[in-house]
Amino acid sequence: MVSVVVREQYVGLVLVSHSREIATGLASLVGQIAGPQVTVRAAGGMPDGSLGTDGGEVLQVLRAAANGDGAGAVVLMDLGSSVLAVRAALGELDAGELERIAVADAPLVEGAVAAGVIASTGAPLDDVAAAAREARDVAKL
Amino acid sequence: MSQSSDVVTGARLPEQVALHARPAGLFVRAAATFPCDVVVAANGKRANAKSILEVLGLGATGGTELELSASGDRAAEAVERLAALVRSLA
Repeated sequence: MVSVVVREQYVGLVLVSHSREIATGLASLVGQIAGPQVTVRAAGGMPDGSLGTDGGEVLQVLRAAANGDGAGAVVLMDLGSSVLAVRAALGELDAGELERIAVADAPLVEGAVAAGVIASTGAPLDDVAAAAREARDVAKL
Repeated sequence: MSQSSDVVTGARLPEQVALHARPAGLFVRAAATFPCDVVVAANGKRANAKSILEVLGLGATGGTELELSASGDRAAEAVERLAALVRSLA
């Protein structure tokens, strides 16, 4: 008789913002709503804590997400140079890493919450990215 | 055994628990484990029970009566499970 141990893998999230507080605060919010299985990595602000996007940190966090033991990660950004930093970092990743990363064009807060909850169900990378994108169309009022 | 007919039930949120943040996450994650379509209605609005943003948009505060309806595979089991979850939220 063969015993198979199935280890469930969850898609993670990478949150990129100009503000460390936005990135880490949103990671806390997603953790509360989506539960503990989903790994949320935050990249925000400059090394000295000021506002800005640190390309080196973004690359490091994307690499960690692509090479972690999860099922890849969906990346969400706030504005402007966060998007540019993610684009630049993607250019540094190899093909294997890129397969495990999906960038979502979505509102940061709503997209992260929606994607986090879907990720917590064990959904695959494409479904989690789609949940983030669908956040653009959900009315708030 | 599976159910394919529409099933509807009501469940009232505990007085002190709004369907937001953590409770809403628990509800949506439970709904997502079922293959059937599930709709939750409150305050004259309807939400896909598997969409956290739609569920948060209901603005269901403590004591709100929710209507849960499901259609498709395991519909009866889904509304029963979700109703029990709603009543047990703390």
